[in-house]
Amino acid sequence: MNAVDGVSFEVDRGEIVGIVGESGSGKTMTALSLLRLIPEPGKITSGRILYGEKDVAQMTDEEIREFRGNEIAMIFQDPMTSLNPVLRIGFQVEEAMIAHQRFTNKQAKERVVPMLQRVRIPAAKDRVRDYPHQFSGGMRQRAMIAMGVSNEPSLLIADEPTTALDVTVQASIIELIRDLSRELRAAVILITHNMALVASLCNRVIVMYAGRVVEEGPTRAIFKNPQHPYTWSLLRSMPRVDEKEKERLISIKGLPPDLGKMPPGCKFHPRCKFRVDRCFTEEPPLAEVDPGQQARCWVLMKNIPDPEAQAKT
Amino acid sequence: MRGTLLYIGQRLVLIAVTTVLVSSIVFLLLHQIPGNAFLNETRQTPQALAAELHRYGLDLPLQNQYVNWVQGVLHGNLGESLVNRQVKITPLLVRETSVSATVGFFALLVTVGLGLILGVLAALRQNTWVDYLASSTAVVGYSIPSFVIAIFGLLVFGHYLYLWTQGTFYYVPGWGKLEQIPVPALALGLPYASYVARLTRASMLETIRTDYVRTAWAKGLKARVVVVRHALRNALIPVVTILGPLITGIITGSVVIENIFGIPGLGKEFVTSILARDYNIVIGVFTFYAALVGLANLTVDVIYPILDPRIRY
Repeated sequence: MNAVDGVSFEVDRGEIVGIVGESGSGKTMTALSLLRLIPEPGKITSGRILYGEKDVAQMTDEEIREFRGNEIAMIFQDPMTSLNPVLRIGFQVEEAMIAHQRFTNKQAKERVVPMLQRVRIPAAKDRVRDYPHQFSGGMRQRAMIAMGVSNEPSLLIADEPTTALDVTVQASIIELIRDLSRELRAAVILITHNMALVASLCNRVIVMYAGRVVEEGPTRAIFKNPQHPYTWSLLRSMPRVDEKEKERLISIKGLPPDLGKMPPGCKFHPRCKFRVDRCFTEEPPLAEVDPGQQARCWVLMKNIPDPEAQAKT
Repeated sequence: MRGTLLYIGQRLVLIAVTTVLVSSIVFLLLHQIPGNAFLNETRQTPQALAAELHRYGLDLPLQNQYVNWVQGVLHGNLGESLVNRQVKITPLLVRETSVSATVGFFALLVTVGLGLILGVLAALRQNTWVDYLASSTAVVGYSIPSFVIAIFGLLVFGHYLYLWTQGTFYYVPGWGKLEQIPVPALALGLPYASYVARLTRASMLETIRTDYVRTAWAKGLKARVVVVRHALRNALIPVVTILGPLITGIITGSVVIENIFGIPGLGKEFVTSILARDYNIVIGVFTFYAALVGLANLTVDVIYPILDPRIRY
């Protein structure tokens, strides 16, 4: 079974790329595969993950270890469970720095408090010796971020970094990630299902469905002119403050397909309002629809005269 | 720290109360048994018997005997042996406890050491031949009672391998040689080692799939560090929980093992004193056992917060 199939994308230095999609669409698996952290018994069966000239998929265990946390760092979804409950926060940050010989033990020790201050943990000096259970959710996520950026990686993968947090904390965490990535001139892959977040933060968007990229392009283009029916429906399913008419929101009926029972043809056709005969049998390729924008669809939204009306039928 | 000391103090008081309570019950029950230690003695005149009873205060009403006895216990004096004249029970049992504790310590070493190694190996190599071998060894080990293992040990080391062992651990009279320890310790520890192995395996399988272990991998830590510092450290918490009952098991198990190997410890005294109707010693042995079980559990509870900072007293 392929959880993620034929996904291909690029991230440039300093760029913030958003990966969006429903739960189970393969966003997290895509991100984990970049660090070869896919849980057993999953594995990468084919493909390349190029970081500069190096192919992550071909690295030896020692090479990949040296790579993780050093070149690419990852921030996970649930800060409540992502920190080791029996080790001190300061030690967990320190450990990340020592792992890659960038810093000596002494340097790492000295850098812990500044690191925690940098992620805006108040009274960092007193709190380095705290355990995770003494931290709030937002603080733990800050500690996770400190751990992630401690080796100044050039790519930061944030897997739904705010999903488990209070709404009030979410904004400050996102702001922190954005500021740090600018300071470090690091690229960010932001995995989320929050379209508003993508709109405000990302340069480019990748929309995933059933383990595939169904649409990709600059954020502006995707939000203004979504070409794949899935992206289009996703955007129409959210209320907008600037909407002129009070339109009824559109929902996508049904559920994403089961990995074991993938439909033939386009994977989205069972839920698609705009499908044609070809969609049932043949899977469309990811093709350029506009400069820089690609979509995996036979129909494309620009060819539909009145999508709103058709979607409501 | 002060809280911990206070906690330990409270527990010690409780243990003392429990010990007195347990031995009181034994005291009262033993005095309900008809007959006494002197009935076996030959050529006994009624006058001589009365003199003996008087000598040990056994002719007093029960409540007086009990008060005398409790006063003795509170002063650490368990009285004199009824069979071996002039032998003070407290120093005798202290000496025997040290013998039992030596064997018990090595048995515990077998239990925890072997159990952890087998459990961790099985978990790390889950569903491979290593796992199957370790797991089935554990099931077999747990199913065989320790006295069968003891007899098997005697057969192998005392008979088949006589030329190598020279029968030192059994046939040489007296106690105090190091080579006398391994075989009984193994027989005593093996069934519990299997138990620890199974528990460690399950606990380890759980922790290596946790988010914080994934975080540890993502930081680029060495495999050894991830397994020992992050996974094993957390996996040990439930293992330590059963250490209390385990030590109790080893203490009671020693009754059988010490008699098979002729080890002059508390377990052997337990049987010998009952057979000799040396009631004073029987009560003393029970008193020691009650205190030992209490102290073992206290030790475990003191180790607990060291391992898991979320626990504080």
